[in-house]
Amino acid sequence: MNLRLILAVIVGRLAMLASRLTGRGRGSSLPGKLALRIYPDILNHYRDQPRKGVIMVTGTNGKTTTNNMLMGILEQAGHKVVANLEGANLMTGVVTAFIRSGSITGRVSSDYAVLEVDEAVFPLVLGWIKPDMVVVTNFFRDQLDRYGELDTTVKKVLKALKKLTGDVKLILNGDDPLVARLAVESGLTALFYGILPVQELSAGASYSREAKFCPLCGAGLHYGIYIYSQLGDYSCPGCGFVRPNPDLEASAVLEEETGIRAMVRGTDGHWEVRLPVRGIHNLYNAMAAFSASLSLQVDPQTALASLGKYLPATGRMESFRYNNRRVLLNLVKNPTGFNRALFALLGNQGAPKQEVLIAINDNDADGRDISWLWDVDFEMLALHPEKFSRFVCSGQRAEDMALRLKYAGVPVWMVDIEKEYRQAVDKVLNGKGESVGILATYTALWPVEKILSRQAERVKDHDDYSLSPVS
Amino acid sequence: MTITVCHLYPDLLNLYGDRGNIIAFTQRCRWRGIPVRIMEANLGDQVQFEDYDFLFIGGGSDREQGLMAEDLTARVNNLRSAVEDGLVVLAICGGYQLMGKYYRMPDGTEIPGLGLMEHYTEAGDTRLISNVVVEAELGGIKTRLVGFENHGGRTFLNGIQPLGKVLHGGGNNGFDGTEGARYRNVFCSYLHGPLLPKNPALTDLLITLSLQRRGQDHRLEPLDDNFEKRANQAMVEKLLGKKS
Ligand SMILES: [Zn+2]
Repeated sequence: MNLRLILAVIVGRLAMLASRLTGRGRGSSLPGKLALRIYPDILNHYRDQPRKGVIMVTGTNGKTTTNNMLMGILEQAGHKVVANLEGANLMTGVVTAFIRSGSITGRVSSDYAVLEVDEAVFPLVLGWIKPDMVVVTNFFRDQLDRYGELDTTVKKVLKALKKLTGDVKLILNGDDPLVARLAVESGLTALFYGILPVQELSAGASYSREAKFCPLCGAGLHYGIYIYSQLGDYSCPGCGFVRPNPDLEASAVLEEETGIRAMVRGTDGHWEVRLPVRGIHNLYNAMAAFSASLSLQVDPQTALASLGKYLPATGRMESFRYNNRRVLLNLVKNPTGFNRALFALLGNQGAPKQEVLIAINDNDADGRDISWLWDVDFEMLALHPEKFSRFVCSGQRAEDMALRLKYAGVPVWMVDIEKEYRQAVDKVLNGKGESVGILATYTALWPVEKILSRQAERVKDHDDYSLSPVS
Repeated sequence: MTITVCHLYPDLLNLYGDRGNIIAFTQRCRWRGIPVRIMEANLGDQVQFEDYDFLFIGGGSDREQGLMAEDLTARVNNLRSAVEDGLVVLAICGGYQLMGKYYRMPDGTEIPGLGLMEHYTEAGDTRLISNVVVEAELGGIKTRLVGFENHGGRTFLNGIQPLGKVLHGGGNNGFDGTEGARYRNVFCSYLHGPLLPKNPALTDLLITLSLQRRGQDHRLEPLDDNFEKRANQAMVEKLLGKKS
């Protein structure tokens, strides 16, 4: 009996209980932090316990969504799964996931561990747990001051992968050259997913493109088409590096009020995927989860049924209702994701006038350097002033956000600076808009969500999409 | 007259919201009714630097910076004569280092710069990463510039004039209290964030100098800088305390 392990688990469990009782935070990283302090080798104990394997999901955007989708699919298929569900994707969050799912003596009775791992700590986590499968979603610029340059992050992930042996399987976004290179350079077995580049989906994607040059030889990449950012159909005139032929490919993509659907072609068949969440980025996430589950021999219909009822995790497009107005809450953390969120705000033709709250913080978890706000295409908002009634800027860097909107061409009389979250939320809920959009960086999201959930009704299912517009 | 802005290698050098500097410069021209157009120069493009009024050079990752250095070295004489003639230049971070004599790597090898200015840079063993406040004298008026720095190189001025004095942050080398460099109408700095939007006094000085070089010597119309001042002041207070 390992007393140190038991003590670490008990202390972690108490911390979980305490955070639940006080309602403070979500208790998703503190338990792991305390347990690691008591028993630094704790992951040695857990790593071999999942009976069928360990799957890691890494990349810049869509980790949490992909991870949750994959967990949902595996559970639907009858497997027991350990997962870190709340975006707690550092070492501490991984440890918390095991403590929560296991017994006091540290037994975890599960088939799979499905772990979302931050791309910067991926090499560190790999030092403790050897995955059987690694899913990589994409690489975009994110929080430069913490990670140095994007180049460095990708290289570190690659170096960590190279240390793994041949029986590891990679599930890669083949539309992202920075991800596809991992297969070429690591020599590991890889399955690619992608979206068939037939449709014009790439409006406004030009500025936050990360890979204009071949990651292998440095020549300028040619693109047939962009899906968004650097995702698309690329080829290198220098060394012949091209978008790999996908093992799973979506086509006939259709964005609807209620979500997104597409036809998907795999090596053994083709299916229709229907997601209750909007956005092409969510289709990518679903493709990643679907690819992984097919590779784990899950029945395709089971996987599709699970994806069809996927509910977004906190802050990633959550819906509320307040006085018959729809309120959408969304996490923003980098230019590509922010642009996707702005597209969602601009929405369909005839959408009602919106009040928008943007809350920007610059704590470590948000990224201390907020320069990336200037790489977001806010200019698209100024092109459609009729869709908005006001922009309220909040958080520690409210002034910077307001300034960015001004230089994007949004009239200053439409922009308010309100540093206090409570007042800012009140303003947008009770403003002239017929619907409300709230965008917040990581550490601003939870306080805003808390204030919001006290006043507005959380919409759990997706019936809000079927409401006809109030206008 | 139309002010012509040249964004040098936007394909290569687009770190840290560099594009914000171009946006700030052009918007502040447009808001005053000064016509402005933006040209992008990429690798291998034919460029006559004296045709431009404002040249912007940003920073990139190591490899991209290497490509840029190679391309620019081929046309350094053209650039030098434009600079000596008073071309207005803003060079940030990697662009700043490139304007100097060399960048010395940890193993002692020197990557030659363009040598347009006397400063040189040595690799440091840590990165200087911080919000920064700099006190600078622009057009005879003391101004506080704010921004964010993130650089591994340590730059030594070697006799040329700094942009200003560091009140908070690392600056050129974390050691001598200077930040950035000035030479003729060339302004260099490690600050991004980006630099120009929150420091309108500097932006307006660059616009004024661009006009003067073409013989247009008039005072710029003042603008409503409420948001600019608030953003600048918020950072100054955060770093130096309320009393400032
Ligand atoms: Zn190539």
